[in-house]
Amino acid sequence: MNSETTRPSRVLITKIGLDGHDRGSRLVAAFLRDAGFEVIYTPPWQSIDAVVDLALQEDVDVIGISSLSTDHLIVPDLMRALMVAGLGHIRVVVGGIIPDDEHALLFNAGVSAVFEPGVSSASICAQVTTFATEARNDSAATIDETP
Amino acid sequence: MSETTRKQRLGAYDQAVEHWENTYAQNLANERPIYNRSGIAIDPLYLPDTDPLLDYVDQLGLPGQAPYTRGIYSTMHRGRTWSQRQLIGLGTPAEYNRRMMKLLDAGTTAISLIPCNSVYRGNDCDEVPLPLLGTCGTVVNTVDHMATALDGVPVGEISTSMNDPSPFTLLAFVLNVAQQRNVHWQKITGTSNQSDYLSHCVANHMFFRLSLPGARRILLDHISYCRERVPQWNPLSVVGQHMQQAGATPAEAMAFTLSSALQYGEDCINHGMDPDDVLPRFTFFFDISMSLFEEVAKFRAGRRIWARLTRDKLGARDPRSQRFKFHGQTSGVDLTRQQPLNNIARVTVQAIAGILSGLQSMHTDAYDEVINTPNEGPARVAVATQNLLREEAHLCDVIDPLGGSWYIEQLTDQMEEKILAVMDTIAESGGMYRAVEKGLVQAMIGRSALAWQERVENGEQKIVGVNCYTTDDNETNDPSPATERPDSKTMGRHVESLRVFKRQRDQEKVSAALSNIARAANSKDDNVFATVVAGTAIGVTHGETVACLRRELGLGQPLIVE
Amino acid sequence: MVNLSKPTDSLASAVCAGHRAAIGKALSLVEGDSVAASRFCQEITGYTGQATVIGLTGPAGCGKSTLINAAIAHLRRQGLQVAVAAVDPSSTITGGAILGDRLRMTNHAQDAGVFIRSLSSRGHLGGLTRHIHRMVDVFDAAGFDVVMVETVGTGQNEQEITQITDARIVVCTGGQGDDIQALKAGILEIADVLVVNKADLIPAKTTIEQLRSGLALRQSGNRKVPVIATNALSGEGIDEMLTAANTAAQGQNSTRADRRHARIRELLAQSSAELVKGKVLGDESGLITTLCDQIAMGQRSIKDCATDFLHELSS
Repeated sequence: MNSETTRPSRVLITKIGLDGHDRGSRLVAAFLRDAGFEVIYTPPWQSIDAVVDLALQEDVDVIGISSLSTDHLIVPDLMRALMVAGLGHIRVVVGGIIPDDEHALLFNAGVSAVFEPGVSSASICAQVTTFATEARNDSAATIDETP
Repeated sequence: MSETTRKQRLGAYDQAVEHWENTYAQNLANERPIYNRSGIAIDPLYLPDTDPLLDYVDQLGLPGQAPYTRGIYSTMHRGRTWSQRQLIGLGTPAEYNRRMMKLLDAGTTAISLIPCNSVYRGNDCDEVPLPLLGTCGTVVNTVDHMATALDGVPVGEISTSMNDPSPFTLLAFVLNVAQQRNVHWQKITGTSNQSDYLSHCVANHMFFRLSLPGARRILLDHISYCRERVPQWNPLSVVGQHMQQAGATPAEAMAFTLSSALQYGEDCINHGMDPDDVLPRFTFFFDISMSLFEEVAKFRAGRRIWARLTRDKLGARDPRSQRFKFHGQTSGVDLTRQQPLNNIARVTVQAIAGILSGLQSMHTDAYDEVINTPNEGPARVAVATQNLLREEAHLCDVIDPLGGSWYIEQLTDQMEEKILAVMDTIAESGGMYRAVEKGLVQAMIGRSALAWQERVENGEQKIVGVNCYTTDDNETNDPSPATERPDSKTMGRHVESLRVFKRQRDQEKVSAALSNIARAANSKDDNVFATVVAGTAIGVTHGETVACLRRELGLGQPLIVE
Repeated sequence: MVNLSKPTDSLASAVCAGHRAAIGKALSLVEGDSVAASRFCQEITGYTGQATVIGLTGPAGCGKSTLINAAIAHLRRQGLQVAVAAVDPSSTITGGAILGDRLRMTNHAQDAGVFIRSLSSRGHLGGLTRHIHRMVDVFDAAGFDVVMVETVGTGQNEQEITQITDARIVVCTGGQGDDIQALKAGILEIADVLVVNKADLIPAKTTIEQLRSGLALRQSGNRKVPVIATNALSGEGIDEMLTAANTAAQGQNSTRADRRHARIRELLAQSSAELVKGKVLGDESGLITTLCDQIAMGQRSIKDCATDFLHELSS
């Protein structure tokens, strides 16, 4: 993943909505760092517009949303906002407590993965790595980065 | 007994000990040491003290006597069992009222109201996306909402704890409801459960983003107001739960909490209050994990440390100031999503730990807590758990039943040592307020959280259904019906009624009240909480109050350390 | 909203027009060594030279990010557009990093006149990133009035910071002697403004005096370095700090163009050295092997052999 000519993958870890508990998202940020990612970490309570602007400024490949209560219910709004801003190549993953009957809502909106309690850090890192590569490929299709 | 016999017996004891040690070493030659969550090495066997009576009065005390290690009251649960105070919060105030009445019937003896996350964020419900409302707590923004929530509840007779941080609008609503019902404020009992702003900044972030100094100021006003006008209310609950849930070890959680309490005590004294006037109304709120013996030792040590700290560092002379009163909540972090029925067993272990620790009030989690805000059935089982432990297991018959266990007494001492060491680190950084500002506490919690995660991931800490004893149908073994969410039409009507309410108020009075709050915030001599109570009486809402105080006292900076 | 599927030259014009999405993409592009990146940098060169570039450095924990947060607010009130490149060190083992500086700059979320980019050093020593000068150029070309570069001061690469910035602010909190020791001699040499932050928390006066006397011993020429007490949370001292930095930026002995030339010369030297190194290590003609044997047997010195090799290359 860290070849000399390509940059490390960049992930934004954030929380939208109302909840403020961030033990899980901090841990995931640490795992991803240890796996070689550049992690941009924000406090909770980011508005969707703020997240989109952040993703734009930081040119991230993946956005990780932590949701412990119902904040994931507005993730579809985030997906739409990302498309409108021309950031549709960014992969979005959601982690936390998401009831089984609400997974479809997320996948239908274009979320790439839902991580639930008990998933291993190795699994998260592996999947996020794949998603980041996909995002970079989609994005690089617009700019030729051959050395 | 003759001296010869005595010597013989003691000699036999020494021999027996040596024999056991040798046999043990032969059978388990290279045993790896076992550590509890606080990092204390646990021996396979604990042996008697030479003479436990020598240190008894100093280190243990009888129940109700300093240092209160065995209990803060002489009668403890035999005289009065703990309050069964289940946290409830969901939907609209009417829905809350219905659920609460059912739980009162089922055996809850006290009320705890948890507001919606939107309330925690300082918003009125008309400022927030509809799907996010009422899912984790009740949407209460005005006095009328509180009146609905507490419909049929005798506020002067039953303890009502409120779970909101500064500026404690929920209590302001309760006081106004009491006034409407002609109930004297002297009869109101309960606790401001989330008054510990330091714990929010460190481990929960469910704070309004008032600046740290702003929150400090409002807490002092709150304490001083309640002392005078609502004397039976506990305005301060120092919270260890957030830290432990965020990953602090039990010893760290106790240490941080006691350091915070010390800080608050000092703040009150510097504000001109007499320690014996305020300390009796300091209460504590802790997590209870599944590490049963460690939790019991933690609380026993906590009682002992607090008794001495209040006397030596805060100048308390009244014994009531030295009493470590606490509410315990079974730890949600120990529960699993996989095979959720197992959580009933987990909560039972945690509840036993809490009872044996001598707590004054307890909330037991429902087994579906990890999946959603509890459904009715699971919530009833949680209450039943407390009832059967008391009635069928007779856990209240003996005060401090684990006292005298050689393990528990030694572990209590060891936990005390660990706790004091962490408290020293905090003291060296200038006290809890400074330590939090510097990010020291956050860093320690982060380390412990990571260490625990690593132990779970590498299998050192086994968790049934997660990294061992898993079943193929883990995920589908879900006993709860489809996720219960607040009915969006009902919530929609609730939001609309708030909008109508706002339009129909006397706008001049509202502006004047808000100006009062702002003025008080900017003056050193006024009491901000008093203006909040007065403002809410004429219809100022929760969101308006918070917005006003944010403007005057400043938005807090996120106190996050990587 | 620019359509990013057009070729690179369109990216350059989008950046120069100040399109946010394009800036984000361009910053990523110029971090790499692709042909497209070089071409892009060439294209925007003509649009650089307007921004005032300020470096902010100091030991970890001294409150740089919070200071920048306050500085941004101040500059925005003056109607200026501000860009920030915040550099955090990355793990030398995994290459990863948690980039948390912008946590303290959340007040400016969604302000179109503010752009904050978090960077990790990616193995580059000295506290900056390898292509930081390119990133500064992107911000410059995009029209930002002030570009702030934030980095942990390690005292290893003052030259680099001096080349890319017009003025340097060095921050410490003082109160503890260690912080002042941590400001290694190198860093103090390049400081145009010395800031003692968190003035409310520590005995700022003592630290300020210590710094002034320490500086007096080191001052060369007419350069007077102001020592300013700040409280990033209350805003105290921020105006003074920025004014001093601006004054220093205007009054530099060298011009922007000169500094840029020096930087380019440096980069050229680095690039040349890399090429030569590649040739030495990858030589298959046998010449290098022969030279190495001669050195190993004590027949010739390394320097002589190197000179010989360079002659070979150029012939």
